[in-house]
Amino acid sequence: MARRNDHEQTSTTAEALRLESVTKVYGTAGSAVTAVDHVSLSLPAGSFTAVMGPSGSGKSTLLKCAAGLEQPDSGVVVVDGTEMKGRSEAALIKFRRRRIGFVFQDYNLLPTLTVTENTTLPLKLAGRRIDRDRARDILTQVGLQDRLDHRPDELSGGQRQRVAIARALVTEPGVVFADEPTGALDTRSARDVLDLLREAVHVHGRTVVMVTHDPVAASYADSVQFLADGRLAGRLADPTVDAVAQRLAHLGDAVADQTATGV
Amino acid sequence: MLQLAMRSVRQRPGRFFATLLSAFLGATVIMTFNSMLDTAGASGVDPVSEESLNSAAQVVGGYGTLLVFFAVASTLTVNVRQRDAEIGLLHSVGATPAQIKWMITGEAVVVALVGTLAAVGPAVLGGQVLLEQFKDSGQVAQDVDHVFGPVALATGISITLLASAGAAFLAVRRAAKARSGTRRRGVRVRVLAGCAALAAGASGVGATFAMEKTEPMAMAPPAYGAILLAVGLAILSPALLRLVLAVLEGPLAAFGGAGAYLAVRNVRRRAAELSGTLMPLILFVALATATLYMQGVQNDAIKESGLVRTVDDKNLETLNFVIVGIIVAFAYIMLINTLYAATAYRRREFGQERLAGATPAQVMRMIGWEGLLLTLAGVLYGSLAGLAGIVAFTRFRTGSSLPDQGLGLWLGTVAAAAAATFLTSLLTAHRALRVRAVTAAAVIA
Ligand SMILES: Nc1ncnc2c1ncn2[C@@H]1O[C@H](COP(=O)(O)OP(=O)(O)O)[C@@H](O)[C@H]1O
Ligand SMILES: [Mg+2]
Repeated sequence: MARRNDHEQTSTTAEALRLESVTKVYGTAGSAVTAVDHVSLSLPAGSFTAVMGPSGSGKSTLLKCAAGLEQPDSGVVVVDGTEMKGRSEAALIKFRRRRIGFVFQDYNLLPTLTVTENTTLPLKLAGRRIDRDRARDILTQVGLQDRLDHRPDELSGGQRQRVAIARALVTEPGVVFADEPTGALDTRSARDVLDLLREAVHVHGRTVVMVTHDPVAASYADSVQFLADGRLAGRLADPTVDAVAQRLAHLGDAVADQTATGV
Repeated sequence: MLQLAMRSVRQRPGRFFATLLSAFLGATVIMTFNSMLDTAGASGVDPVSEESLNSAAQVVGGYGTLLVFFAVASTLTVNVRQRDAEIGLLHSVGATPAQIKWMITGEAVVVALVGTLAAVGPAVLGGQVLLEQFKDSGQVAQDVDHVFGPVALATGISITLLASAGAAFLAVRRAAKARSGTRRRGVRVRVLAGCAALAAGASGVGATFAMEKTEPMAMAPPAYGAILLAVGLAILSPALLRLVLAVLEGPLAAFGGAGAYLAVRNVRRRAAELSGTLMPLILFVALATATLYMQGVQNDAIKESGLVRTVDDKNLETLNFVIVGIIVAFAYIMLINTLYAATAYRRREFGQERLAGATPAQVMRMIGWEGLLLTLAGVLYGSLAGLAGIVAFTRFRTGSSLPDQGLGLWLGTVAAAAAATFLTSLLTAHRALRVRAVTAAAVIA
């Protein structure tokens, strides 16, 4: 498995993700909301990026557009050198399950599958050999070794979130998108998950894009990309907890000012 | 609480369509047959006509009513089960269990009343057409007029109400128990209820032999028996489904791919929910085989006895098959109705599966394999229940164990059941898959 992945690495472009003027509008005419507004972005392979912004600023929508889960109204999305646009749903799904791992904000686990089955499902669907030891390794790393045969409704929110993370990593994808992957976790589990994501980047060379609210989580990333009202609102390299918190506070002010003056 | 219930009905008209349709069709069938009792009871009807009408209404109206009762109840059960998320939400915003219980039951009452009232018109028409059939076959004098009266109305309303409100009440109670973790007792009650239905069915079948040879209503006990056996098997179907799975799991895992992998797990871990879908399937197969074969045997017996001349003979045959046909058609529509509701509800799950990496084709194959497992279980247990009634009736009428009708009717029934199961679930799933995966998965059912 690992060898096969190394081979894929050499064939990937240096750019893992490129967005060109991506726009996504929800609703129609009167009640239209521009969730993502002309966002352009380029992330190199092997980078760890945090995306931060106020609630409703379009972080989840941006992630879904980048992963080909949501069709942008305009703009170009290129993942691992492949353009997402104009491909059938089946083709996109097949591409995604080979190259992309996605941790959903609401986990999206299947209720009739156990922890192990949920984790290995993408492999099963892709017709790949299921390496149970590897699945158990990942589940152990997220602290679920005692819950392998439980079903999602027998787990806490934090445990479900960790299953979702294990599932996103098990296919050894080139790019991992994680939507608030530590939102339901206590400090300790959050640290384990963040270490795991950092290991994915620094040991296995994957690219991670993580939405988060938490300055501590963001400080694990190589850089932080801020978002406000669907637009990019600055970038911070080598983030520290304090620097991130400070920028967030200003971001909140800026948004409040905008709303107050009606701009 | 009734106000809340009314608002809930108004806000989700789509969800109520399946239950409304089942209440409407059920009430139509019941009132059509029971208006024959009103007609027979009117003044100036000669004794022979009265006798024909009464016995038809009692035999067919009787087991037809039983069938309607369970069909409506199973639709309601499926419906309430689907509202688990909503019930949980109400619970979390502070509604007491009693309030929730009355809200859901209140809705069921509203739906049953509306459905029954809407059924009055069609039942009057249906009753008139049925009476014409009786006249054409010479069973009833030409001057008898159709009467739609208190018997039809009272049975229509009471049976529909009892089935839907009763099922809704039990289903919410079960949901509340599951939430508070007293599920084990529920399982025991279920096993007891299933065994009771089987025992009642067995005695119904057995009662066939207590009938006089000349008894015109001899078809009633085995028909009742077959329906009750079917209901018992449907109630016990979670265990029976696992039995079918145990046999097929190996081959499916070896040859079925990811679709079969998901299907096996869905069926195994949702066996209790699936019994609501399996109920109308088992009922249809049991009822169709039992009544069609018994009617065939009955018609042959009438022919041999030489009691009726050939023209009347032919008409009587037609009449009998029309009557049986109505009931079988009802069971068939209920099967499609339930399958549609059960599959359409899974839109969110289909979205989640695609987000986890399943292609639309893999989801369709999963539905196909589930359809196969359901059909096999439904045909197996439905045929067993039907066969019990057939063997009893045939022994009673002819002395031999199996009818001369051959396998054609059974094969036709199986083909119809399979067609309904596969077409309904696959077409409904295909439609559900047109919604984008992220949108479908985001819907709180
Ligand atoms: N499926 C949807 N339909 C309509 N509006 C949506 C949908 N998804 C998101 N939105 C809207 O788009 C905006 C951005 O949402 P989202 O991307 O979820 O923000 P965030 O993740 O930053 O909180 C919000 O105003 C939200 O209401
Ligand atoms: Mg979000």
